[in-house]
This record gives sequence, structure tokens and C-alpha cells, in this order.
Amino acid sequence: MEAVAALERDAQLMLRVREGDEGSFALLLHQHRRPVVHFLFRMVQNQAVSEELAQEVFLRVYRSRASYEPTAKFTTWLYRIATHVALNSIRDGKYERGQESLEEEIIEGVGRQIPDRRPTVEHNMLTEARLDEVRKAIDALPAKQRAAVVMHKYHELGYDQISKALGISESALKSVLFRAYETLRARLAHLA
Amino acid sequence: MTCLNKNKQGTEILLDYCAGTLDAERAGAVEQHALECGECRALIAAQKHLWNALDELEAPEIPADFDARLYARIARENAGPAWKNWLRELSSGGFAPDGLFWQPLFSWKPVIVGAAAVTVLAVGLSLHLVTPHAPNAQNAPAQIRPESVDAEQVEVTLEDLEMLMPPAASAGRM
Repeated sequence: MEAVAALERDAQLMLRVREGDEGSFALLLHQHRRPVVHFLFRMVQNQAVSEELAQEVFLRVYRSRASYEPTAKFTTWLYRIATHVALNSIRDGKYERGQESLEEEIIEGVGRQIPDRRPTVEHNMLTEARLDEVRKAIDALPAKQRAAVVMHKYHELGYDQISKALGISESALKSVLFRAYETLRARLAHLA
Repeated sequence: MTCLNKNKQGTEILLDYCAGTLDAERAGAVEQHALECGECRALIAAQKHLWNALDELEAPEIPADFDARLYARIARENAGPAWKNWLRELSSGGFAPDGLFWQPLFSWKPVIVGAAAVTVLAVGLSLHLVTPHAPNAQNAPAQIRPESVDAEQVEVTLEDLEMLMPPAASAGRM
């Protein structure tokens, strides 16, 4: 009982899901869907595909509920699944690289939270071009390096969690991150 | 403090410093070193610049029907036959509680390839059994080809037969 009490909140929720509590699954979904979709979006650079993959991630979480044991942090387990799904998708080429245009975003009404402070069309274009370069630089990284950078930069996961999510040692992860950031610094140096 | 790119922990220190997660003592040491080392100063500036550039990249909003679509998929799966879910589990692998992925017990790809190979073999074998075969020139028994029989040889053979017949039979025939 003490062990269960010491568990992190998410792991406790997942244990309740295992017992058939659908409400706990809804809580987990509510808490993690945004970071999972964002992680996958940064991995595949395609909104529709990232949503589809996120659905797959939560579906796998749900399917695995019966065998779930809280021996690792829930987020580590979740990102392990998300990473696996993303790497599989990239490997199988199930998504098309590239980004939607500004026009498409306006039509679909799902814009990328572009700040209102940009005053002119020219400034908009420059900002979009800059963002596009950042996106392309990330997209050009090998998939594992990309996953490591995205988890490290945007999801503030610790080295131990990222290394477990990627299935590599911590020292290997640091090498991966070193190479990835070195590549990004070189590719985006001209934006300084 | 040694240079960040010459130190084994340099990457971690650089990343944590630029992310603002390095403890105050070590952050102070980095700043002190950067004052004296142009190379590390440039490296820190480049990493900070990259960090800020990456900050600009924002992700889209989650669609309002995300949960509804997921629950619909779950409901579809739950409504399906149990064996289908079981097969899906087997073929899609799973995740152990420690976060490690276990490989699927089998994959559909080799099953499909194997099934295709068996089908091709079966079709080939059935065609082989059904189709009448041309005799093998080397193994087939020699057959008499009428156009190649020598008439003179036939005549000689008939005469030999007459010689073997009893005299009465031979006279009767005469």
C-alpha cells in the first residue's frame, strides 16, 4: 500500500485504468494529449499525421492497461511509446515531409499560433521563412537525434527519461544530443 | 574549469547552462570561464541563439474532436471480436512497464511472404501434376517410327519365320 501511495500521480491513474476506471484514462488523456501531439508534430512536421499518431499512442496506452506495472515514470513509458510510433512512421514513410502553407492554415482555421505583434506582411513572410528554416533544420536531423532534441528542448525530460525513451544509455544520449545541437548550430548560424 | 568542448561533461553543462537548469555554482563557473575563453564564449552564444530560435517553433492547437475520435476507436476495438484484438496485440508488440518495447511475437510481413511462396509452390506443383509431359528423350523407351522401318529387313524376317515353321505348315501354305 505504501508503495502505491509513493507512486507518482499518473502511475496511480494508470493503475486505476487497469482496474477499469475510464475516468482515470480521461484524466491522463487530458493531461498528456497536448505534449504528445506536440512531440509528434515536431517529429513529423505534419499536423494531421501527428494527430493520427497521437491517437495511436493513446490507443496503445489503453490496450496495454491490463499489463501495466508502475516500475517506471508514466511519462517515460508514454514517450517511449510515442517515440516508437514516431520512428516507425518515419521509417515507413507514412507521412509526407513539408509544411502547410500560410494560406492553408488560414483556410482551415488551425493557424500555428502566430503572434499578433507582427505588423506587416513583409515581417510575416520573414518570420515564416525563419520558422521554416528552423523546421527544416530539425526535420533534416536523423530521426533519433530529432527525437532526442525535441524531448530535451520542448518537453524538459531528464537525460535518464530521454535515454529510456530512446532505448539508449545516458552517455550515448549525450553524444546524440551533442551531434544534433552541433548540426543545428551550424545550419542555423546564419539566422543570428 | 576546462573548455566545454574538451570536457566529457561539457555537452551536458553547455545544454543545461543555456536551458537555465544548471545550478548556480556551476553556472557561475561557466560564466567565469567564458570571460576568459573566446572559444567557449562563442559556443555558448551560438547555443543560446539556437535555443531561442527553437523557442519560436510552436506547435498547433489540438482539435476539439481529438478525444471523441480516440474514444470512437476504442469503442470500435472493444466491439470487435476478442481474437482480433489478440492478434493485433501479437502483431503490434507492446510496452513493458519499464518503458521497454517488446517486439511482436510475429509480424504479418513474413507471414504474407511465406503464404505467397507456398501459393506459388502449390500452383507450380499442381500444374506439374496435371499437365501431360513430353517424354524425355534420354529416358523414354525406344519407339518404332514407321517411316524408318526398312522394307527389306521385314522381308528377311518373314523368311526366317517361315524357316522356323514346321514343314507341314510350310507345305500347306505353299
